Amino acid sequence: MALTRDIGTRIELVPMDSHCNDITVALYKQTPSDAPVYRIHTYSQHPDAQERIGSLAADMQVLGGIQQADDGLLRFPCGHAHQYAARRLFLDACKRDPSEAAQAHPLQIHDKKSACDIAVDSLGDGQYCVRAEQGTQGVERRTATIARGLIRLGEMEGADDDANRLHFVCGHAHDALIALLLRRAPNVRAAMREAEEMASRGQLVAPSAQN
Amino acid sequence: MSEHPPSMNSRERVLAALNRQPVDRTPLCNPTSVATVELMDLVDAPFPDANRKPELMARLAATGYTELGFDTIMPVFSIIQESAALGCKIQWEQKDNWPTVRMNEPIWTSPDDINVPADLCTHPDTRCVTDAIKILRKEYGDEVAVIGKTMGPWSLGYHCFGVEPFLLMSLDDPGKTKLCLDRMKEITVEYGLAQIEAGADALTLPDHATGDLVSGEYYERYLRDLHIEMAERLPVPIILHICGRTVDRMEYIAQTGMAAFHFDSKNTPMESMEIVKERIALVGNINNPETLFSKGPEVVREEVYRNLDAGVQLVGPECAIPLQTSIENLKEIPRAVRDWHAAYDR
Repeated sequence: MALTRDIGTRIELVPMDSHCNDITVALYKQTPSDAPVYRIHTYSQHPDAQERIGSLAADMQVLGGIQQADDGLLRFPCGHAHQYAARRLFLDACKRDPSEAAQAHPLQIHDKKSACDIAVDSLGDGQYCVRAEQGTQGVERRTATIARGLIRLGEMEGADDDANRLHFVCGHAHDALIALLLRRAPNVRAAMREAEEMASRGQLVAPSAQN
Repeated sequence: MSEHPPSMNSRERVLAALNRQPVDRTPLCNPTSVATVELMDLVDAPFPDANRKPELMARLAATGYTELGFDTIMPVFSIIQESAALGCKIQWEQKDNWPTVRMNEPIWTSPDDINVPADLCTHPDTRCVTDAIKILRKEYGDEVAVIGKTMGPWSLGYHCFGVEPFLLMSLDDPGKTKLCLDRMKEITVEYGLAQIEAGADALTLPDHATGDLVSGEYYERYLRDLHIEMAERLPVPIILHICGRTVDRMEYIAQTGMAAFHFDSKNTPMESMEIVKERIALVGNINNPETLFSKGPEVVREEVYRNLDAGVQLVGPECAIPLQTSIENLKEIPRAVRDWHAAYDR
């Protein structure tokens, strides 16, 4: 009898979890009638595997404000999928050192490129504004770049009249999630490249392309 | 498919299709690999060990049948087993990547270097395959087709001489190249026979005269006759595997007497069927990188239907699937085949 089950659509995969015996962990999305939910899953029978799944779920709650229901499934309190952000949240949870307790990030980073602290203000109803805390030269371009990065990473929408303003289409605040994405927003390309490199491992290469 | 023979088991179905005989439904065939990192976890048989330990190799391979619902079990995931026995340097990699031959460190430069070692089929990395086939045959009896794999001389040429030196030799000195191929074919035959003796029902024979590197004319000049000889000397159905766009050589391939050609999605099922004209069965050709790896079940289903509509005799992925392919997409292949037949056979 088959052991694999229909657990939804796999939306992200970490093929070798360096924090847990190189097991493979994945994020699956299920779409019941009410709202999309996520399941972290591994097929590994390793004795530490289920504890790792539990710890990843706990970390995703702290780092991204996702909630866990009694059935163990994860969902955003607004009821929306925010799938792209959920993938990023999962990848970051897998990456962090589990020996240290997860902590929600502040809505502020230090941006090396502008040598300036960048903050994101939560304006309510899922609206946010990116601003520089110091007035260094060219910082307006950086705040706009970071806002665009957040829009891309969080599948958000920008404001027509303000390059620093953005909002979630669900109309709900997701401060923890924004704080997590803010770490990646200054260099979205690097985040994407990293994800692509991980995904491309395990694809056969033609003899003509091999070293 | 019109004669509707009585219900067959997986092995009967595959062997009938390879012989272009009537089948109760189109068989699901993986002539290369359907191993994934999740399946490795499921049965605790990760790469690279699953390429080197027969119990793990058999266990992981069996998931293609037990979990995914294919009619075949193919334990030879990679293309390096006999090259390891020949002395090529192998990069074994980790769980999430394929072992590869270090072709930039060739072991041969001339026909005189070609040496078939006495331990070709008893070397740990070749014996792993024959032992895995024996395990599978014992475990599954005659219910499922077990497919082995023996690399063709052109592929061995890349592995042992290096891709560029081998291709340059084929341009500069056709006689020398033919001599090399003639000597290396004995490796293909010897290892193929060892797998047949171990219980393989059919053999995949990858010979990477691929569309991006060599022309159809090259295939005809260097490989057609050799492949005819392979089909005569290896007494089981042979599935030739060549990646890439290959319509310019399918006419020659159809003349080889091989049972089947495992073809790439760069060739449409319809145009391929028109060229081979029932002289050889086709296996394929669900796209790996764009469909199975990157898209969802509905696109997988469309591709399965496209093959079935064209009359492709055995359906499966076009080549070894990416190790991160989702189980959901792989399971969609058998689902789609069954649904298509449920509609078509009514």
